Amino acid sequence: MKTAVQPPPVEPADRPRRRIDGERRKVHTIGRWWWALPGALLVIAMHYGATAVGGSFAFTNWSGIGSFEWIGLGNFERIFDDPTKLTALRNTLLLAFGSVILSNLAGVVLAIGLNRVLKTRYLLRTLFFMPVVLSPLATSYIWKFIFQLDGPLNSILSGVGLDGLARPWLADPIWALWAVLLVVVWQNTGFAMVIYMSGLASVPVEIEEAAAIEGASLWQRTWHVVLPCLRPAIAIATTLGLVNGLRIFDQILALTGGGPANATATLATEVYKQAFSLGNFGYGAALAVILTVIILTFAVIQQRVVQGRPEV
Amino acid sequence: MNDLRHLIHPRKFLVPAAVAALALAGCSSSPSSDSSTGADGKTEFTLTYSKSNNIESPFETLAKRYMTTNPNVTIKLEGKPNDSYGDSVRTQLQAGNAADVIETEAGSGQSRSILPLAEAKFLEPLSDTVTKTIPSGSESLFQLNGTTYGEPLGISYAGLVYNTVAAQAAGLTAAPKSLDEVTAACGKAAAAKKSLFVLAGSTVPNAGITSLIISATRVYADDPDWNTKRTSGQTTFAGTKGWQDTLQTIVDLNKAGCFQKGSEGAGFDAITNNMAKGTSVSFFGPLGSASELQKAAPEQKFVAEAFPPATAGGKAFGVASATYSLSINAASKKKDAAKAFVDWLADPAQADLFAKASGGLPVSGLDQQDLSTTIYAGVADLLKKGDYTPLPNSGWKSAGVYDALGTGVQGLLTGQSSVDKVLKAMDAAWDQ
Repeated sequence: MKTAVQPPPVEPADRPRRRIDGERRKVHTIGRWWWALPGALLVIAMHYGATAVGGSFAFTNWSGIGSFEWIGLGNFERIFDDPTKLTALRNTLLLAFGSVILSNLAGVVLAIGLNRVLKTRYLLRTLFFMPVVLSPLATSYIWKFIFQLDGPLNSILSGVGLDGLARPWLADPIWALWAVLLVVVWQNTGFAMVIYMSGLASVPVEIEEAAAIEGASLWQRTWHVVLPCLRPAIAIATTLGLVNGLRIFDQILALTGGGPANATATLATEVYKQAFSLGNFGYGAALAVILTVIILTFAVIQQRVVQGRPEV
Repeated sequence: MNDLRHLIHPRKFLVPAAVAALALAGCSSSPSSDSSTGADGKTEFTLTYSKSNNIESPFETLAKRYMTTNPNVTIKLEGKPNDSYGDSVRTQLQAGNAADVIETEAGSGQSRSILPLAEAKFLEPLSDTVTKTIPSGSESLFQLNGTTYGEPLGISYAGLVYNTVAAQAAGLTAAPKSLDEVTAACGKAAAAKKSLFVLAGSTVPNAGITSLIISATRVYADDPDWNTKRTSGQTTFAGTKGWQDTLQTIVDLNKAGCFQKGSEGAGFDAITNNMAKGTSVSFFGPLGSASELQKAAPEQKFVAEAFPPATAGGKAFGVASATYSLSINAASKKKDAAKAFVDWLADPAQADLFAKASGGLPVSGLDQQDLSTTIYAGVADLLKKGDYTPLPNSGWKSAGVYDALGTGVQGLLTGQSSVDKVLKAMDAAWDQ
């Protein structure tokens, strides 16, 4: 069998090459950097500029209307001196991490459970994903009805003889926060499930089968084969979940309004209350700056932790 | 270096800059001019107001009457939820898209109050016709530097809105006149599977006004200038026995089972439902809301009653003031039409129109009114003798103080807070 030897590529003659370069340059010179200027300016002005201007109000005493004065770090000092704001910070972190952990655990379990075997998996996937596409505000009002003193939850408890457990769940200083967490987890689980299902689709069946033939148990296959392949999915699901959890707002506003007596207030609800309800825009902006810094910090840390392991 | 020169060459910037300037000029609006009346001779403007239920608001009644009198005028009504009304109006005023005519409140203690909005130049000065309608002694609540920015719409009495039909069903023959009678009435109502009071404890406005109504007898009856003293730093909430008694009364009422079950988590819907169904006998609030409830539940009968003083010999005292008002958006393009509407309301012929529509009282001449046969019979003496204070928070420094009170009351109901803590939080909010 002969192999055809290709002649080396002939270098084009000097003149035609120069012509091509000239044409390329001509094409390049048609496009100018300032063509992108309107778009770039819009992005800078409307996104980063507006954010920076809004953030600068954190150093003022602006009431949201009228004039203002620069007060340096005064707003930040007030925040860290106010126990209710520290409670809001604690609630923010609890809801964020609680919702990330629980909804991701539930999501990965559902994704594995509904990945291959079940015949009804398509229907179940749709049902579990449904809460994600529904309006958080609308579903929260339904949950509010469920949690009411004369609502279905307490009726069920009374029906099974657990009258003692019936209570106004959303007005209970201990249970209100857990009720909010439950609603958030219920709404976020479907999203995590879908991400993990897409991750599972990328797990090579051959490797799983090879591991099984080698005698690996189900747990060993899950831990050593499936989960490493899911690492990108975990990174996406937890990062998005954490960011969404840190800025949780709709559900709290609809369910409790931050009550009872600030027991479920978060930084996001405090930003809204201070800036728009009480007319302390500068103070609200300072809270927003703190919330932004927290979100950025945790998002970066989480990305490093989940994605940072180098390939061997 | 060549690249840098390329970047900073002035001509390179001139073209896009000119284009941007032209584009911005195209976007900017022309100098504001009044466009009240269209080419077809018809006039249209917007009126925004707060509402707590779906029953026809007195503002709707006013608008309908004006449109009937002036067929060429159309008033577009924008009812907003009461608990977020102030926020919505402030945001819209700031954004420049607020309604032409706005429901405001006298004084400075609320996010919808006239004075801070006028200071920020969001409100249009009103005419002398309107100024004449301000009750004597209440000028400081409607005027800033001698200019009027709010039109008082009527005297609103705030106290107990009492359902006599529900009371009779609970075996209560008369409204309680002392704290002991209140406690006894709570027991009777509970025995009849009702509550003496319905409280929307999760809402700052209702939890707040409940405290204010009780404070009338405990704070303002003996010291009508308490707000002035607090402003000058001569007193504090935490250091005033009357305020301690006020909040302690709420704690005691809660312990005695006077509020409906789950009151700490209840919203305004609880008030509407319980009062309309007769499952609660009364609630703390403005009597204007009684006329709305009466339309929804004609089989019930709602009247005004006063909350009794702390001691048997204590002075009966109520809360009544020209709380509701109308203002004109300074950025309105329909100022002429809006002013015509506001002036029409100020005319003596229409002076008590809002009062009638809202079940309130006329702005002036209260001492000459015969209220003995009206729903105000229970508080007729108070109103005739002038034994009432304006809504206390209308003279407070900021909305934050009232928020601290409303939030604190919810904390008292759930056991999260104490009387002293709430009062200190109010002082802290005042001093910020």
